[in-house]
Amino acid sequence: MEIVLSCAWTAGNREGLEIFMALQLSQTEQDGLVVIQPDGEVDLYSSPGLRKAILAAVQAAELGVRLDLSQVAYMDSSGVATLVEGLQGCGKIQKTLSLFRPSPAVMKVLQLARLDSVFEIWEE
Amino acid sequence: MDKQTDLRMTVRADARLLGCVRRLVRGYLESFETAPDRIDEVVLAVDEACANSIRHAYGGQSEECLSLEFRSHERGLEIELKDAGKTAPLERTGATLAARDAAGELRPGGLGIPLIRQVFDEVEFLAEVPHGNRVIMRLDRGKP
Repeated sequence: MEIVLSCAWTAGNREGLEIFMALQLSQTEQDGLVVIQPDGEVDLYSSPGLRKAILAAVQAAELGVRLDLSQVAYMDSSGVATLVEGLQGCGKIQKTLSLFRPSPAVMKVLQLARLDSVFEIWEE
Repeated sequence: MDKQTDLRMTVRADARLLGCVRRLVRGYLESFETAPDRIDEVVLAVDEACANSIRHAYGGQSEECLSLEFRSHERGLEIELKDAGKTAPLERTGATLAARDAAGELRPGGLGIPLIRQVFDEVEFLAEVPHGNRVIMRLDRGKP
C-alpha cells in the first residue's frame, strides 16, 4: 500500500504565480520498515510535514524507518534537524532509522554539518 | 576596494517564499561564474540566514519584510540581509560548527548559524537599534 501525502502548497495563491514549492511524501512498508520517500524541497516551510510523518512512522514501524532521499532536490538545516530527531526517536525505542540513496543535495548539507557519519546510509 | 550594488530585493517574511529567494540567489551567483559546488553552499547559507530571520526575529511569519542586497567587487561578493525583528542574542550569532563538535552532543537544532559561518569567508552579525538584525556575509572569489 502506498500513501501519498502532500505537506506543502502545490502552487502559489497569487494568480499566475507558482512560487511555493511542494514536498510530496510517499509512504510504503517493507520488511518491517516504514519507507518514506519525500519528493521536492525540504526547508523551513516543508520540514514540519516531513517531521510529522517521520515521528508517526517511528511509532508505527515494527523495526524502523527508512528514508528514501533520492528525490530531495534541496535540504536545509531544518531538514537535517528533522532527520536527527527521527534518529533519536528511533534510538529511544530500539528501532532503526536509515537514509537510502540520499541525493547530492542531502549529502552536501549533511557533510557541511559534519553529520554524514551519524546516519546509516544505504546507496543500494 | 570599490563595491557596487548589483541587486536588491525585499521579500515578505514568509517561509513559503524561501524557494523563490533560493532561485534568485542561485541566478545571481551563476552570473559570476561561481563554481557549482560553491553556488549550492552559498544558496544554502543565504537560505539559512533568511530562515533564521523568519523563525527567530519574526517568530514564524510576519507581514514585515526581509531585505537582501548583493554587492560585488573585484575580489569577491558581499550579501547583506536585514530584518526589523527581534535582535538575535550574541550567544546564538557566535555559534560555530567547531563549538558544536566540541560539545559532543547530537542535537536537532542550532545548525543554521554554524552552517552560514562554515560557508562564507567572513560573517558579521550586527544588532540594529532599536531592534532588527543585519547579517553581512562575504565570499572571497579567490578561494576554492
